[in-house]
Amino acid sequence: MSIVEIRVPEIGESVTEVTLSQWLKSDGDYVEMDEEIAEFESDKATLEFPSPNAGILHIIAEEGSDLQVGDLVCKIDTAAAKPAATATPATTPSPEPTPVAKADPTPVKAEPVSSGKPGKVEEIRVPEIGESINEVTLVAWLKEDGDIVALDEEIAEFDSDKATLEFPSPFAGKLKIIASEGEDLKVGDLVCTIDTGFAGASAPAPSAATPAPAAQPAPTPAPAPTPTPQPAPATKSHATGHPSPAAAKAMAENNIAPTQISGSGPDGRITKQDVLAFLRDGGTAPADQVVAAVEASGGSREQSRKKMSRMRRTISRRLVAVKNETAMLTTFNDVDMSKVMAIRNQYKKVFEEKHGIRLGFMSFFIKACANALMKYPAVNAYIDGDDMITNNFADVSIAVSTPKGLVVPVIRNAESLSMAGLEGKVRELAKKGRDGNLSLEEMTGGTFTITNGGVFGSLMSTPIINAPQSAILGMHRIEERPVVIDGQVVVKPMMYLALSYDHRIIDGKESVGFLVEVKNQLQNPEQLLLGADPVKLVLGL
Amino acid sequence: MKYDITVIGSGPGGYIAAVRCAQLGMKVAIVEKYNTLGGTCLNVGCIPSKALLDSSEHYFNAQHTFSEHGIGVGKLELDFPQMIKRKSEVVGVTTGGVEYLMKKNKIDVFTGMGSFKDKNTILVSGEKEQTIQTDKVIIATGSKPSTLPFIKIDKKRVITSTEALELQKLPKSMTIIGAGIIGCELGSVYARLGTKVTIVEYLDRIVPGMDKDIAKELMRSMKKNLKIDFQLSHKVTAVSTTTRSTTVTAENKKGESVEFKAEYCLVAVGRRPYTEGLGLEHIGVSTDERGRIPVDEHFQTAVPGVYAIGDVIKGAMLAHKAEEEGVCVAEFIAGQKPHINYRLIPGVVYTWPEGAGVGYLEEELKEMGREYKVGKFPFKASGRARASMDTEGFVKVIADKETDEILGVHMLGPRIADLIAEAVVAMEYRATAEDIGRMSHAHPTFAEAMKEAALDAWAGMPLNI
Ligand SMILES: Cc1cc2nc3c(=O)[nH]c(=O)nc-3n(C[C@H](O)[C@H](O)[C@H](O)COP(=O)(O)OP(=O)(O)OC[C@H]3O[C@@H](n4cnc5c(N)ncnc54)[C@H](O)[C@@H]3O)c2cc1C
Repeated sequence: MSIVEIRVPEIGESVTEVTLSQWLKSDGDYVEMDEEIAEFESDKATLEFPSPNAGILHIIAEEGSDLQVGDLVCKIDTAAAKPAATATPATTPSPEPTPVAKADPTPVKAEPVSSGKPGKVEEIRVPEIGESINEVTLVAWLKEDGDIVALDEEIAEFDSDKATLEFPSPFAGKLKIIASEGEDLKVGDLVCTIDTGFAGASAPAPSAATPAPAAQPAPTPAPAPTPTPQPAPATKSHATGHPSPAAAKAMAENNIAPTQISGSGPDGRITKQDVLAFLRDGGTAPADQVVAAVEASGGSREQSRKKMSRMRRTISRRLVAVKNETAMLTTFNDVDMSKVMAIRNQYKKVFEEKHGIRLGFMSFFIKACANALMKYPAVNAYIDGDDMITNNFADVSIAVSTPKGLVVPVIRNAESLSMAGLEGKVRELAKKGRDGNLSLEEMTGGTFTITNGGVFGSLMSTPIINAPQSAILGMHRIEERPVVIDGQVVVKPMMYLALSYDHRIIDGKESVGFLVEVKNQLQNPEQLLLGADPVKLVLGL
Repeated sequence: MKYDITVIGSGPGGYIAAVRCAQLGMKVAIVEKYNTLGGTCLNVGCIPSKALLDSSEHYFNAQHTFSEHGIGVGKLELDFPQMIKRKSEVVGVTTGGVEYLMKKNKIDVFTGMGSFKDKNTILVSGEKEQTIQTDKVIIATGSKPSTLPFIKIDKKRVITSTEALELQKLPKSMTIIGAGIIGCELGSVYARLGTKVTIVEYLDRIVPGMDKDIAKELMRSMKKNLKIDFQLSHKVTAVSTTTRSTTVTAENKKGESVEFKAEYCLVAVGRRPYTEGLGLEHIGVSTDERGRIPVDEHFQTAVPGVYAIGDVIKGAMLAHKAEEEGVCVAEFIAGQKPHINYRLIPGVVYTWPEGAGVGYLEEELKEMGREYKVGKFPFKASGRARASMDTEGFVKVIADKETDEILGVHMLGPRIADLIAEAVVAMEYRATAEDIGRMSHAHPTFAEAMKEAALDAWAGMPLNI
């Protein structure tokens, strides 16, 4: 046997533990000697880990796992022959997507058996997702290279600006991954290919019945064993998540719900081993379940663990990405709300009678921002690669807190909407957001965002911009504070304003100028519009 | 000394619970009123009935099928007392096995009638009186044959299954009241041996609770091969006896009164939970309208620490159901969380051909409005069945129309009581018909019929028919 065990090497004097942050190769890949196969993170540095041998990679340690020096990382089968495709003319593997018309690289060993049908290699491209979405991020492959996938089985996860989409396979067959995780893809870009010539989950029906003289069972096209233990369920079916009797008992005893475990059995059935592995890997009872409290002197010390929802995970990933990838900073100002409040008080009733809607603060802020955005186009712009895209419209995203997390529906052409129109939109979108009824379209493509931390009582904050936008306005609570006007200390209803912006395209002059403009408009509401009796006009009365 | 657990009753529910409790580290006592352990099942139920069924089947084959196999046996003789004696030996060895298991697991056996003094004190009235102190109690007192209010069981001419397994002389004729599983099995035993058997049944079908096709086919077979006279839709109104004969009076569908005379009358109308003399009233446990002890999902009665399992609680009166409950109750007491899928407890009738079923009946699915498909394979088309001359019956697989999940499997045929286990495994794992159709079944076997029926259910394409 020529299986070589690959362990975490000595890295440096003081480094005893690393985190396996990423596999650069997939399980079953053929790797060259010294080819980078994984990425480790130590306390201070990220290290690329070169393969000490050439052969077929069998991944052992999972991404995200913490490993000690000497721990087993993977195995490499050095007896395995190099696949034909990488051996052909060029000495180095071509970075180009594999030519799709050609067959796969020659199967090395234990590859799924071809059904013998003339296989067709289908090219799978990023589909049209929504009108305004022309780019998605390939967040994760849910299947591995070489897996047999079923029709409509989820194979990858895309992130668009606003939502995460699971991508179902349009064909059944053998998956060849082309785009890599984290890659941004345009609609129409090649994602993967699927070789439909492989017998998969939806295997062809046995051919017409022929009465055989003897009861000799005819060989049926059996799905061949897959090369390595498959972590992901092959297909979703009625039995996905169904535990075996022994697994069910172990789960009941440890308060594990079927949804917490992904079954490795056929069609995602949960095996006893899955439950034991889950427990070994630190899996615990669901959040609403009290987890064994540590004995301590007085006071409860309960902890609970629950997997983050996909939306939460997406939010978290994106927020961190924005912080890392933009040059974000925040500028502050404060605004005297007396006049806006006076107008509200004066026109509240008549406004509601006329428009059937309450006159809130939001419309004032949106209007002020829309006007200011027209004056400071950089704040309304965003970066696309090396280009800067400016917008001559103000599509204002409003942050709405929902039970599942923050969503940011968009009010389009806010610059041209009336106050009643704005209030109506705000109400409608907030309600849809809370009910979970927002469409992808409604959450896509704003040019600027307003978030109101004041509703939760925030005095001051530094909001994070909503990528790919370049700026976000933070509203806060209104409170009476002493301010000095003309040498006199007076009490005024004040609100702090925060503008976080991407310094890469917005300079201090523009950001500060923008915020001052917003402040001025709110302090002088007649400026919110043009013309005679300005207040009545803007209120549409 | 105080026991952790005292089990009352040593049937398949009780003795299995005792063994499992002991395996889990508890100190266990078991109380049995009879001198032999094993309860109904081992003494007067499953085991002796199967012993007689097998013996009588051999006799029947020697008489009817050997010649076709090319075997001449000359003048065939029936030694009925020997048949009964062998049966008793089988019972003896089997109950002895339970005794061994008690010793092996260090379970103390108390012989005598057990009754509650209070929930922690059991009085055993046998040759001497003893009391047992115990932390918890498992009631597994099982069931007794039941009868109809107007029938007096004299145990001489009007008998129950218990006596029917002990007769010393082959009856010339026997009227059996009830065409359930016990009636059909014992009817088969005697009919094969030459007794003229009449089965009188209130319903319009036999083996209620089993698949309709099984009932139809089985009745046809028993009529044709065993010459049993089935009188369905007959309501028995009276049973009278003389010293030598019995007369069963019944009302037929038209309301006419008809009489069936025979040497014996076997009452096989079911069984009732047995709690007499148990002293339930001393702990404040009462039984339901059918005499069963109510329990919660952990088999605990209204009194904490007192549990009940087997025939004495609700559910099918089957030995393997009692056993599953015996294991589960022990594990619950030990703080584990086992689970029984009652839908997947198979029901079997050990006639020849045997009948068995598990999961949903077609009628149930219809009632639920669930869409299903049916695949069927007759043993006539099985090479193995032809080889052994056992071509009666079929396997029927019912699957969900959309997901192809197997929802029910019903079969009639040779040795299918063993074959039904495959269906249980498949259904525990929620397999589809296609799954079974894609698993290799040794050839030639009766089990291939299961695969073929599955292929038929999956896509309507069995390979060998
Ligand atoms: C003829 C016949 C054939 C059968 N064939 C089959 C078959 O093929 N397959 C199948 O699955 N099932 C069969 N059964 C049913 C099966 O026998 C019962 O379901 C099974 O025995 C129930 O087990 P149990 O432990 O609940 O009770 P039982 O087996 O009835 O055991 C109860 C025990 O408790 C004892 N007991 C009761 N009260 C007291 C007390 N107060 N103190 C001390 N001891 C007490 C009784 O003496 C008895 O030994 C058959 C039954 C009969 C009658």
